[in-house]
Amino acid sequence: MKNNNIEGWLFVSPLVIWISLIILVPIYIAFELSLFNVKIIGTSGKFVGIDNYIKLFGKSKFLNASLNSFYWVIGNAICQTFFAFTIALTINYKFPGKKIMANWIILSFIIPTVVVVVIWKLMLSSSSGVINSVLIDIGLLDEATGFFSTPNKAFISLVLINSWRWSPFLALIILSGLNSINREMYDASKVDGANFIQQFLFITFPNLKSVLFVLGLVGTLLSFNIFDIIWLITKGGPSSATTTLPLLIYETAFTKFRISQAATLSIVTSFLLLLFSIIFIKSMAPKEDD
Amino acid sequence: MIKENNIKFIFLSLSLLLIILIFFFPFFWIITSSFKGPEEIIATSTTIIPRSFTLEHYNKILFNSDFFIYLKNSLIVSFSSMIISIVLSVSAAYGLHKLKFYGNKFVEYSLLVTYAFPGVILLVPIYLLFAKVNLLNSYFALIIVNVLFATPFAVWMLKAFFKLIPNEIEEAAYIDGASRYIVISRIIVPLAAPGIASVAIFCFIISWTEYLFASILISGDDQKTLPVGLAGIVGQYQIDWGFLLSGAVLASLPVILLFVFIGKYFVSGLTEGAVK
Repeated sequence: MKNNNIEGWLFVSPLVIWISLIILVPIYIAFELSLFNVKIIGTSGKFVGIDNYIKLFGKSKFLNASLNSFYWVIGNAICQTFFAFTIALTINYKFPGKKIMANWIILSFIIPTVVVVVIWKLMLSSSSGVINSVLIDIGLLDEATGFFSTPNKAFISLVLINSWRWSPFLALIILSGLNSINREMYDASKVDGANFIQQFLFITFPNLKSVLFVLGLVGTLLSFNIFDIIWLITKGGPSSATTTLPLLIYETAFTKFRISQAATLSIVTSFLLLLFSIIFIKSMAPKEDD
Repeated sequence: MIKENNIKFIFLSLSLLLIILIFFFPFFWIITSSFKGPEEIIATSTTIIPRSFTLEHYNKILFNSDFFIYLKNSLIVSFSSMIISIVLSVSAAYGLHKLKFYGNKFVEYSLLVTYAFPGVILLVPIYLLFAKVNLLNSYFALIIVNVLFATPFAVWMLKAFFKLIPNEIEEAAYIDGASRYIVISRIIVPLAAPGIASVAIFCFIISWTEYLFASILISGDDQKTLPVGLAGIVGQYQIDWGFLLSGAVLASLPVILLFVFIGKYFVSGLTEGAVK
């Protein structure tokens, strides 16, 4: 095809301009704010230079939230990989009702997050939750437990709830990768005597590279960004155990009214995420062969 | 061989059972619970089969709450966001994947990163920005943000569909003297229609479920969306479970209905568009 530089950019530019404006202008505003000490929205503060940044790194709240975010991303990655692969590999088989299941497995993703919160608040309720009563009935628990009452339990419950929401969506994307694998490879490997575990390790997994690349990048950033599920269930507690960086930013800005501190946090967080993305793309991007 | 098939069968049935229990049972549970009497919802001994049946919660939410105002707001915001997102992302996806240009890989990866990048990081500055330009408490504030969240992934989804359209069809049309506009509206869009439908659903869902920005950028009751309205009930000290559950079911209904009609395009769009 002939050179399409100008026309190509013309087609892309409306979206690129929209996105850049709504990301870059706010980031500039946040950067400016981070150099002042504005507290309540609408007031002006005095210029403090990089003071906010220096203070930030000495704050235990910031370190605590960063660690929580780190565990949050790792925990979600593990759970979601497990659930998503289980769903994708299961749906990839033929069984009666397969179509219906493939269409509706994504239900947990299409409903509002607030509804996800309602579902699990009810199911996991310590006084009347169905999970508690089932666990007691089958003898796994002696008495009803509060799934959000201790730091560890709250954190793990939230990871599972968030994975519940996202795994089916990820499973469908993995399924798209599975569908693009040439079926003849499986037949050939069967002739050579490979069992289904070997097939998974040597055919399925390597062929999913480009899908897994996108999931690894987007999935990590998306988990990092989760706010509503955590906020609406635990508000970051108990004792800040579920306060990840997004919650800390929200709290700092809208309940503590430290706008400049929140802006500083936003800038530092953006920088960390950008760094992660660049490293991830540079080191993991699959080679282009088209 | 028979042994391996048996193991496979056991694995398959087990994981099917688990998937149904984990991913479908909760829906059965909240839907049936929303028809239970208030005492049964919070009873300590739970039974799988409901013992009571009542429509009182639905009555209350439909005729004695702001439900329809929130519904209207959610519908306006979601539809507008969806339409703008489709126009922008179809155009961008066409440029990215049909017209190779200098810098297209950079744009493609940047879009992918932006898909996940924004969120809470932009919350404070966007709030201030919108306050300055008087956009707070307007539908447009939410539409701007929703489009930002929906389009990057939409472009990525469209890529697969555009790649399936052979270049020869386009080239033949150009030889016959068709303009770029004719080619896009008569060839590309109709051929990619299932893909565009699935992208439309995706954009609608993203807007329909958005909570964070809606909760901050909108303060007036008249413009609140359903998720924000529902969250208001979740936050109350004494939760009226029946009210909340029927609200949750009703708030999910529109996306579910949409999904009944064009959901298969969405799923096949995600799974058959051979990601490459």
